Amino acid sequence: MVLTGAVLMSVTGHSRRRVLAGAAGLSVASLAGCGFFDDDPELPEAPDALQPLLDEALALAAAYDRAVVTEPGLATRLTPLADDHRAHAAELARLIGATLPSTSGSSAASAGAVSASAAAGAETVATLRAAEQAAQKTAVAACKAAPAERAALVGSIAASRATHAEALR
Amino acid sequence: MNPQTGAALAAEEAAIYAYGIIGVHLSGKGDIAEARAAEQAHRGRRDYLVGRLDTLKASAAASPAGYELPFAVTDRESALKLAIQIEDGVAQAWRPVLPVTTGNDRGTALAAMTEAAVRATRWRRLAEVSPATLPFPGRAG
Repeated sequence: MVLTGAVLMSVTGHSRRRVLAGAAGLSVASLAGCGFFDDDPELPEAPDALQPLLDEALALAAAYDRAVVTEPGLATRLTPLADDHRAHAAELARLIGATLPSTSGSSAASAGAVSASAAAGAETVATLRAAEQAAQKTAVAACKAAPAERAALVGSIAASRATHAEALR
Repeated sequence: MNPQTGAALAAEEAAIYAYGIIGVHLSGKGDIAEARAAEQAHRGRRDYLVGRLDTLKASAAASPAGYELPFAVTDRESALKLAIQIEDGVAQAWRPVLPVTTGNDRGTALAAMTEAAVRATRWRRLAEVSPATLPFPGRAG
């Protein structure tokens, strides 16, 4: 819907500073750059509630990339799914005002967001599928908890992850 | 009953109508089972929405007496194409319900959108359309 797109875009500008309580993934990495605030431990900005979803999208894209390196025959099937995750990451980064890591360094940085089996470098279609199903659950919970202006985007990401699990059956 | 929910109801009714036509042009066991399951799912969502209408004492806009198909459905290929388009359209109709609902109602809307997106992917695989997924199901375009 054209209208929805326009609303989302206008919302983007206002939500950069949105900080929601209860963000699960307070990661060391995201605070590492905040030495500026070291003198005042009360002040470090909590990560956005959607940061875990963004980390997960990058980790999944990297997992697909590794799987394709191991088994080039799977490229046709897996590359579009990796591209979907990168599109999700780009939209989420825009929405929360995050900077995406460069592609080359992203896999190590974000691997923690995906289950250990999928991050271990031995991705198979089955482990990728399990990771998609877990990631879908994260996104469903995030959609239910999201404020109205974020619900549609996060919902689409949840649905996309579900279709990935289906495509890997 | 908000206009978004009304649009979701209209999309579910259009889907039920379309599967009546799609079914006629499918003959493979897998195709037919898929179409029947999809039609049942859309009936379930339609009934849920009509129930919500009852609870809210609202009245649904009357459905059009007939639907105009976007293209002629004459064989398996065009039937699968319509099935993909219908499921994409149902996902697009549910997505605007997400921002105007909370709690269980939003959960139901998300489930309905997700299931439509998954069926669209299944139809794309049956039709050998690649890629079988969309980055943002429910987003038009």
